[in-house]
Amino acid sequence: MSIINASGLVKKYKDPEDKSKIFNAVNGVSLSINSGEIFGILGPNGAGKTTTLEMLEGLKDIDEGSASINSIDVSSNPYEVKKFIGVQLQANEYFDNMTLVELLKLFLALYNSSHDPLELLKRVKLEDKANANANELSGGQKQRFSIASALVNNPLVLFLDEPTTGLDPQAKRNIWELVQELNSTGMTIVLTTHNMEEAEFLCHRIAIMDYGKIIAEDSPKNLIMEHAPNKIREIKYGNMEDVFIALTGHGLRD
Amino acid sequence: MLSKPQLYLTKVFIQIFLRNKQYIFFSLLLPVVILGIVGLNNGERDPVDIGLVDNSNSNISKEFINKLSNNALFNINQSDEDSLRNKLIKGELTLILVLPNDMGNTNKTTNIKLLADKSQINFIEAIKPIINETLMSVEREISEKIPMFSLDIEDIKARTQTYLDFLLPGIMAFMLMNLSIAGSGFNVVEFRRRGILKRLFVTPIKPIDFVSAIVVARMVIVLGQLSVIFSFAFFFLDVNIVGSIAHLFFVIMVSVLMFLTLGFSIGSLAKTQESVGVIASIFIYPQIVMSGVFFPIETLPEFIQPFSEILPLSIVADAMRSISSDGLSLLAVYKNMIGISIWIIIGAFISTKLFVWKEVAG
Repeated sequence: MSIINASGLVKKYKDPEDKSKIFNAVNGVSLSINSGEIFGILGPNGAGKTTTLEMLEGLKDIDEGSASINSIDVSSNPYEVKKFIGVQLQANEYFDNMTLVELLKLFLALYNSSHDPLELLKRVKLEDKANANANELSGGQKQRFSIASALVNNPLVLFLDEPTTGLDPQAKRNIWELVQELNSTGMTIVLTTHNMEEAEFLCHRIAIMDYGKIIAEDSPKNLIMEHAPNKIREIKYGNMEDVFIALTGHGLRD
Repeated sequence: MLSKPQLYLTKVFIQIFLRNKQYIFFSLLLPVVILGIVGLNNGERDPVDIGLVDNSNSNISKEFINKLSNNALFNINQSDEDSLRNKLIKGELTLILVLPNDMGNTNKTTNIKLLADKSQINFIEAIKPIINETLMSVEREISEKIPMFSLDIEDIKARTQTYLDFLLPGIMAFMLMNLSIAGSGFNVVEFRRRGILKRLFVTPIKPIDFVSAIVVARMVIVLGQLSVIFSFAFFFLDVNIVGSIAHLFFVIMVSVLMFLTLGFSIGSLAKTQESVGVIASIFIYPQIVMSGVFFPIETLPEFIQPFSEILPLSIVADAMRSISSDGLSLLAVYKNMIGISIWIIIGAFISTKLFVWKEVAG
């Protein structure tokens, strides 16, 4: 059963190079994400991944099309939707001079939630940093805290925007384990990533975006079978990186 | 009433402020130092240093010098012209009066030469009437004429008002403006730049929750800061507060709201941290000079005065001064309250028109 449905999502922006022109950062994206699924959105820089996510999260207006989460329309009830989603953003800065526990208490209050902040920190293995300042954490710890802050309302859907960018292999693996653990409780997870190994390892299904459109959508295994070079349908030779390059080309985007 | 999320956010904003000890210290330091200096000087201005060259050495000139010396406004330095000129150039004197040889010759008008530094010309214009008055009284005594008119100035307010009494409401209004602008415009741009606003707006709170938390938190912060300054002036500097303190603090609350809406407008106009600084400076600096905070508006050039009177800081400083120093009630300062309300409407209009929350969050 799908928990997220999006149909023909469009987001228009003024062209930064020519302000008189409008371009579609997201150009007719339709998605159907099942409850309990880990769904990945891949794509080069500027493909429209984050914008798609932010439209689903109610952070950006949907210019055309519609989206619903748990059967609630995002455009007409953004505040209702925000009550049962958790969001980890790319940038994870917080108010200065506040400890992790204090920040979690703030987020709990914003949802009128009564979870124990220490329990949440334990869940992301940061209980010994309870009284540390968020700005003193390492990259991996920051990302784990960011996920903890997205769990304060025990969300049905967790959005993760590039959760492992810039992390070392250990920290990355640690986040993967956390995502799998959360998913094992039935939580639906939607993530964007540039890391093909991550997409292949974590995601049940993947959508590949380019120039604001979804150009392929399937399970990692099927995508590899379909698009990786030297395709032999019975044996898996390539990996997700091959699929990605085959679909979006070799050229640098920025 | 505030909802639980609003209350908690308010508490967090106050907590963040209280933990920034350095900011608290420096925001209190300047007003305390200025009030302290003025207060320790008993609120009186220093006498004007005048150089005096007596080329006549007559009874009349001595009488003139004697009269001038008895005036507490002046500090007379008598010497030769060359050494006094040097002192004038060094800035140790404000002006030099040269009494000519023929002073006392009753058959013709004596021309007294006044040497001055052109940069002080405005100030000299202000004290010229006193010098003229002294000259006339000397003249009357010599000619043994009884003056036809005499002007007795009686203070109908029947109280002593010092410069400190004038300065305190102005300084408080000035602090109030700075704290409010920093709390709205600067904070919003900073939170936006660091992605904190975006993080807040993925939770179910609405822009109005965020704005009301900032408004309430800033009111508490400003009340706290101003109470410190007010207590310092009241208990240590013996300032005269004639009016109702409750009315004074009501004006403060409404004024915080006004400067917050104007601060949000500045934050809406500015896209970056650098530009918010520049726009805030354009808003703040002219008001320091033109709002009668440190000196009465009447001392400004006449063509600027109507403009000065409608500046937000002028309206607030005037209302606070009318209550604290002149003992007027809220009702009596209704014109100022209307002015503040108009500025609130202007600020609210600009900030709601320009402040695109979706963009802020994005």
